[in-house]
Amino acid sequence: MTVVEARGVSRVFPMPAGPVVAVRDVSLRVDAGDYVALCGPSGCGKSTLLHLLGCVDGPTSGTLFFEEHDVATLGDRERSGIRLRRIGFVFQRFFLLPMLSAAENVALPLAEAGVPKPERDARTSELLRYVGLSARADHRPSQLSGGEMQRVAIARALANRPRLLLADEPTGELDQATGEQIAELLGRVNADGTALVIVTHDPAFARRAGRVLTMRDGTIAAEERHR
Amino acid sequence: MSAFAFAWRSLRRQPARALLGVLGVASVGALLFDMLLLSNGLVLSMEQVLAGTGFDLRVGRGPGMPGSGWIIPDATNRAGALTALPEVEEAVPIRFGDGAVASGAGGDLAVRVVATTPSRHPAWMLHAGRSIASNGAAEIVINPNLARGEGWEPGDEVSFRAYCTSGNSVTPPVSLRVVGIAEFPFEDEGGLTVGTSLRDLDVACGGNGEDIADQFLVVSAAAAGTAAARSAIEEAQPGFTVAANEEIVGQLQGGLSYFRQISLVLITVTIGFAFLLVTVLLTVSVNQRTGEIAALRALGFSRRRVVADVLSESVLLVGTGCLLALPLGLGLARVLDRILKSIPGIPEPIHFFVYQPRAVAIHFALFALTAVVAAAWPMLMVARLPIAATLRREVVS
Repeated sequence: MTVVEARGVSRVFPMPAGPVVAVRDVSLRVDAGDYVALCGPSGCGKSTLLHLLGCVDGPTSGTLFFEEHDVATLGDRERSGIRLRRIGFVFQRFFLLPMLSAAENVALPLAEAGVPKPERDARTSELLRYVGLSARADHRPSQLSGGEMQRVAIARALANRPRLLLADEPTGELDQATGEQIAELLGRVNADGTALVIVTHDPAFARRAGRVLTMRDGTIAAEERHR
Repeated sequence: MSAFAFAWRSLRRQPARALLGVLGVASVGALLFDMLLLSNGLVLSMEQVLAGTGFDLRVGRGPGMPGSGWIIPDATNRAGALTALPEVEEAVPIRFGDGAVASGAGGDLAVRVVATTPSRHPAWMLHAGRSIASNGAAEIVINPNLARGEGWEPGDEVSFRAYCTSGNSVTPPVSLRVVGIAEFPFEDEGGLTVGTSLRDLDVACGGNGEDIADQFLVVSAAAAGTAAARSAIEEAQPGFTVAANEEIVGQLQGGLSYFRQISLVLITVTIGFAFLLVTVLLTVSVNQRTGEIAALRALGFSRRRVVADVLSESVLLVGTGCLLALPLGLGLARVLDRILKSIPGIPEPIHFFVYQPRAVAIHFALFALTAVVAAAWPMLMVARLPIAATLRREVVS
């Protein structure tokens, strides 16, 4: 079943020096359980495409369907709802809230989705166990290592059991060994049934994906299938 | 996590910033509260003092407010005629003057003199002893300052001399017995005041048989009411001016309109400061957290929710500061009131800063408005935050 599909989408940014085409006429389909890696040089449009797939940005032209709904027809509230319940985001810089504990960070999307506290607490514990951080539940982000913070961020992204997990350079701020642990964890998330789209510069990380899309100048220049 | 809980955590994240913000709002709030107390304080104080005397009408001869017009001759008879009106419970003639009492330490002490007829409603508030009697005995009541300063108490004899004409004419002193210690309305702070009968004041002035007063203080009959008593007096004594307490207060209010205007300007300025302070704090706070806010939006937090977070932060900052401002403002008002009351000629019971529940209500209403208006720009920033562009910018930076 298709989770998200881009049909001929482009994203143009108006700039003082003239419009910049970040994504040019890209068509892409991500089905349930897919693992897609977006690669390519800096500025080729990987993150912009990821943002389009994640409904945080709208295409200048073309159509984006999320679970067969044309995203352009949805208002901000509906798009927020899709992001909250159907999509998970993992960022390069984690963006954990420093005043909240690891558990509170994980519980945040659950609370926003109106999940009752007992269920919220149970799901938070389950997720922290899943990412191997049960013992660090009460720690603040400042008391965690980079790898631990990213694991908390992954747990947070999985809180509402999304169909699609988007990760923008999730190992970009980590050393190689920690990066591999995160890559492994994300592989496990995909294996457990969540469709995964990652943006990475790391070829070894990209090779873990079923499909590797190499972008150049806003277009998908090459596609490689690994399994 | 509710927007308020979230805002509370955000404020606790930077305690120094939050504390400075709250203290800033509290300081500005204290000034605002004081301006509100000052804007109507004097009038309210006057109203309380007038009501505290127990008289609801004042009657004078000639144009202008009672007491500012001409001397009233045949005062005792006229007062009797007014008291005889069914709408009037009692009319008391009052004459103001100056005099001196011989100090125990030697020399004379200048005193303000209030002379009246013995009545059921004395023109002063007794603290000890009794008021002057109608048995013709030469009696005097003294104010607490005089009692304290000279160590006098009821039963003591006092040598009193009245200044009856312009200049300190030499009149022989008369001996008066202290019968009570009383507080006089409108006496200066620290001032020395005595009360005696019109007859004894006349005797002290040389016994010319003058029966004069400056005004009558009137208590209207409970069954008739102030308005009916006023009409009856005007009919019985044409050429006399009658003023109810409310009119005297109203006239004072008109005379002090500049006070309210200054207060209004200062209130506007202080609210402006509070607005700027909170807007700057929130704007800086939002600017520091754009990445986090964009991330929350990407995670599915609605625009309404992130806006509510900012508004809650503003309400917490302003609300806490606004609450702190009340005790701070009351303390400051006490100090400022003392300073203003040291101006010569200000009657002791009169205050410039008077607590009014209305002022508290206005204080809260103005700050509630400030919290919302001050948060408007940061809320707009958050509402319009482009999620993707902000996330991209955060990574690049």
